[in-house]
Amino acid sequence: MSDPAIELQAVYKSFRTTAVLRDLSLRVERGRTFAFLGLNASGKTTTIRMLLGLLPRDQGTIRVLGLDPQQEPLEIRRRVGYLAEDQTMYGWMRVEEILRFVAPFYPAWDHDLALRYVRDFELPPRAKIKHLSKGQNVRLGLVLALAHRPELVILDDPALGLDPIMRKQFNRDLITHLQGEGRTVFYSSHLLYEVEPVADEVAILHEGRIVRQSETEALRRHVKQLIIGRDALAAVRGQLHILDERSDDRHVAVTVQGAEHALQVLGVEGIEHRVVDLNLDEIFEAYVAGRAGAATEAQPQAEPQPST
Amino acid sequence: MFLRIEKGSAVPISRQIADQIATLCASGNLRTGERLPSVRELARELAVNQNTILRVYERLCGEGLLEMRHGQGTFAVGGAAKGQLAAHRARLVDELRQIARQAIGLGLSDSEMHQLLTEATSGEVDAKHAVDPQRMTS
Repeated sequence: MSDPAIELQAVYKSFRTTAVLRDLSLRVERGRTFAFLGLNASGKTTTIRMLLGLLPRDQGTIRVLGLDPQQEPLEIRRRVGYLAEDQTMYGWMRVEEILRFVAPFYPAWDHDLALRYVRDFELPPRAKIKHLSKGQNVRLGLVLALAHRPELVILDDPALGLDPIMRKQFNRDLITHLQGEGRTVFYSSHLLYEVEPVADEVAILHEGRIVRQSETEALRRHVKQLIIGRDALAAVRGQLHILDERSDDRHVAVTVQGAEHALQVLGVEGIEHRVVDLNLDEIFEAYVAGRAGAATEAQPQAEPQPST
Repeated sequence: MFLRIEKGSAVPISRQIADQIATLCASGNLRTGERLPSVRELARELAVNQNTILRVYERLCGEGLLEMRHGQGTFAVGGAAKGQLAAHRARLVDELRQIARQAIGLGLSDSEMHQLLTEATSGEVDAKHAVDPQRMTS
C-alpha cells in the first residue's frame, strides 16, 4: 500500500493565545518505526492527541490510516494501538481483570494473544495494578495497546520514567513484537540515544513545526561539525547551511546541514578544516538550540569517553 | 559472538556493529563457516533495529566477509579480502592518531603513552582468556 500510515499537512493548533503547532507537516510510511522528537512542551503530546481524535485541530489536514481523526475518532481508536504518556489504569484492578475490562472496547481483541503477551512480558496476572513497577506498568500498557492487533501503534513517550535496564527491555519488546511483526510504530521520546538504535526514521519538532525529518542514519551523515579558521568562514558562510556556530580566538566550530555539500565547498576553496562526527544528541541540540551566527565562548571539544 | 553497542557515541550504530564483526573475522574469532546469529536474534540481543542489522549483514556480504545462504543463515567466509583488511587497518591507524592527539592534549609523554598501550593490550589478552572458555560452550 502506498498511502501513508500518518499524514499531517499544515496543521495549526493554539491553546488560547499560545500557538503550539504552526504549520506542522509530517508523513509516516507504513511499516516504519518512526521517532517523534522534541523538547518538553514542544507539542508532541498535543500532536499525538490530535492523531487519535482526542483534540481538535485549528487548521490543516490529518489522516491516520486514511481516516480523519476528527470525523472518525472511534474507528481510529479501534484500529490504532495507543499508549498514553503516564497512562493511569485502575490501580485496584488485577492484571487479568483489566484485560477483560478493556477487551469489549475492541472488536478485534484477541484474548489469547493478550495472555501470551502477559506471559512474554512476565507480568503477574493476579497482581493488582497499583503494585506493579513502572516498567511493568508500561508493559501492561503495551499489552492493552497490542492485543487487538493494530496495524499502527502510537506510543507517547513510553520510555518516560524507566530505568536504563527497563528501557533496553522496552526497546527489545519494540523490536520483537512491533517491528518484527511489520507494524507501523509512531513514538515520541526525549531520549535520543535510546531512539537511535531502534528508529528507522526521526522527525524533530521545534517551535511548532518539523525542522528535520530524516532516516536516522542519513541524519548523521548530513549533519557534521566543521572546525575551520575564523577568517576562512567569512569567505564561505553564504554557501553553508549553518545550524550552530561557536568560536574561540582563532577557530570556529560550525554545525552544518548538508555536510557533503559543505565539504565540497571547503574543498573548492581550499580551506583547511577538520570534520567532527556528531552523535544524535548533538545533532538534536543543533536544531533546537543552535545559535547560528552567534559568536560565543569556546566550545569544549568532544572529550574522550571513559571506557569503563 | 559478543558485540557491544555504545549508545550516544559519535560512531553510528551500524558502523559499530560492522566494525566489530569485521574485527572478529580479521582476528579469527569468527572462523570460516561459522554461523552468525540470525538478523532477528542479533536485533533482539543488541536491542537494535532489524533493518540496521540486515543492512550490516548485507554490507559485510558485499565486502566478502559474510555470506548469506538462502534458508540457512549467515556465515563467516574465510580469507577476508585484502582490500577489506587494509581498509580496516587504515581505520584503526586513524583512530590511534586521534587518541594520540588527545593524549598529547592531556600532556602525556611518549613513554607514558607506550605504557598505557602496553597495559591496554595486556588487559585485552586477559579478557580474551577469560572469555574464551564461554565461547566454546555457547
